[in-house]
Amino acid sequence: MSAMLGLLSVALLTATPVWLATLGETLTQRTGVINLGVEGQMLVGAAAGFAATYLSGNPWLGLLAGALAGMALSCLHALLCLVLGVNQIASGLAVLFLGNGLSSFYGTTLVDKQITGFHSLTHSAAARWPVVGQFIAELTPSVYLAFALWLACAVLLLRTQAGLVWRASGESADALRMLGKSPARWRLAGILVGGLFTGLAGAALSVDYTRTWVAQMTAGRGLLAVGLVIVARWNPWLALPVALIYGLAEALALRLQSLGMNVSPYLLGTLPYLVPLIVLLLSYRASRRRGAMPQELSGVFRGMA
Amino acid sequence: MSKYFLSLLCALALGVAASAQAGIKVGYVYVGAKSDGGYNQAQDTGRLYVQKTVPGVATNFLENVPENAQVTQAMERMIGAGDKIIFATSYGYLPYALELAKKYPQVTFMHCGGAKLAPNLGTYFADMFEAMYLSGIAAGKATKTGRIGFVAAHPIPQILQDINAIALGAQSVNPKATVTVVYTGAWNDPAKDVAAVNTLVDQGIDVVGMHVDSPVPVIEAAKKRGIKVIGYHFNDESFYPQGWLTGGYWNWGPIMAAVVRSVEAGTWKSQPIYGNLKSGAAKLAPFGPAVDAQTRKLILDKEKAIEDGKLNVWAGPIYAQDGKLMVPKGGVLPRGQVDAMSFFVKGVIGNTQ
Repeated sequence: MSAMLGLLSVALLTATPVWLATLGETLTQRTGVINLGVEGQMLVGAAAGFAATYLSGNPWLGLLAGALAGMALSCLHALLCLVLGVNQIASGLAVLFLGNGLSSFYGTTLVDKQITGFHSLTHSAAARWPVVGQFIAELTPSVYLAFALWLACAVLLLRTQAGLVWRASGESADALRMLGKSPARWRLAGILVGGLFTGLAGAALSVDYTRTWVAQMTAGRGLLAVGLVIVARWNPWLALPVALIYGLAEALALRLQSLGMNVSPYLLGTLPYLVPLIVLLLSYRASRRRGAMPQELSGVFRGMA
Repeated sequence: MSKYFLSLLCALALGVAASAQAGIKVGYVYVGAKSDGGYNQAQDTGRLYVQKTVPGVATNFLENVPENAQVTQAMERMIGAGDKIIFATSYGYLPYALELAKKYPQVTFMHCGGAKLAPNLGTYFADMFEAMYLSGIAAGKATKTGRIGFVAAHPIPQILQDINAIALGAQSVNPKATVTVVYTGAWNDPAKDVAAVNTLVDQGIDVVGMHVDSPVPVIEAAKKRGIKVIGYHFNDESFYPQGWLTGGYWNWGPIMAAVVRSVEAGTWKSQPIYGNLKSGAAKLAPFGPAVDAQTRKLILDKEKAIEDGKLNVWAGPIYAQDGKLMVPKGGVLPRGQVDAMSFFVKGVIGNTQ
């Protein structure tokens, strides 16, 4: 396999959980709610997905269970900020810490378990196709699943009537009310769908990518996803390129090391965070705008002052 | 009334005596899960050994304690609950353990792999590089591309020792063999471990070793890509029998039990304890089916030579990465330089800092 395609496959595999989480949080924030609990939802999804795969022997059930677990935890955020009116930032952090604690506590018994995971294609007939065979064979089901969900979400959100209402809930709750629709209902949907995606992202990490569970295995990728939503300017289409930039930076940092390049691995390790930050700065300069933040979100930050 | 107080005092005194007789309490702090199939499970296996072999001892543990101020809290909680010996098992616990050792002179602290001592803080470690040299022989025989990979957490002396030992072992049977090193920058980041393995395989590596807290993600990734693996910390053969060559694992139990007994007897003194293959603290893992009989015999012969003191992993000639002669023929790298290992031997591709 060519060096470039190898780099791209490592990048895509690395990016996929972050891609799914960024997509989910984008959908949440477009209804005018911010959920900082992504990391906690991912962890719960990773633990539940691994447990379900272990018990059932079916990794597809694992992905489903992970997604549902993420959604279940996001209900707490919905309850706290939509029903009880708790500050969204505080509520999201509560979800983060609860998810971390719950998954660490109940995940203890999962640590030494082995799962079968998806069938690897790296030694199948597909791997022998010319040029792209090896590349395609290395990608795993969650990459293809993420691709399908990404297409569906972007089209639904930006090209359909329902998507318009979804976005309106984030831009002007008052306008939505005048149309006789309840912003709270759409925000509930936004939070739950976000929970579903982030739970799936966690399960992709444990069930598909690493086939292992350890406490805090997301290692900050959930928080990163919240940041990447801003880099992607709340645009679901951009969730892929932005996550891929992160994945490429990570893959490149590892590749440069394996070539024996004389740079500190710690400096190289900052690349996946530094590069998106630079992209953010450049894109803001280029657009000469304050950003594309949904109007209702700015209220969240005003509320903090 | 005074009679009542007297009996109460008696009861208290009895209670204290009873708890003193109940044996010593020993606390263990782990940076990860105690069943991680790696570093922490090896430590916990030592704890279970102590529990089984030292009469009357009571052990307790805390898992997933990060290498920051939380470990101070964890150890203080254990001391508050009556622990007289604390095994601070993770590398990064050292500064916190040293600090607490000053505050609690009556408690004995044991740190794994530390380079510093205090009057009531000792260290224990073992020369795993001996087992890594032997694993390197298996890797050197198994590789078809002549390229071995290594997934490392951090560029610290202990890990540089392992990598060099694998390279030297591999080159003893396969002079052209190289070891390519990739650091993840974390003891515990499974996703990065997997990305590191994928990166290495894309470069033509067909045997991989690792030194991160849990070898499991690396082994799972090696299984996915169909390459061979040498293990570390713990015997994880069951995760991937077809690709398992061998590896090194820790056997801390006897050292830990000796520490507990000497503290009980009042004969403990602060010192660095070093185990090795001969003492049995570092062990060669069982061979997988991929290792042929001839290679097995060669490795076992060399193991015996190391145990008998006839073979030293760091015997010259040893050349550094850039070809500089580090140890001339007939010489041996001094122990101090082994402990503070700061260079890679020839044939290692990677950075030492």
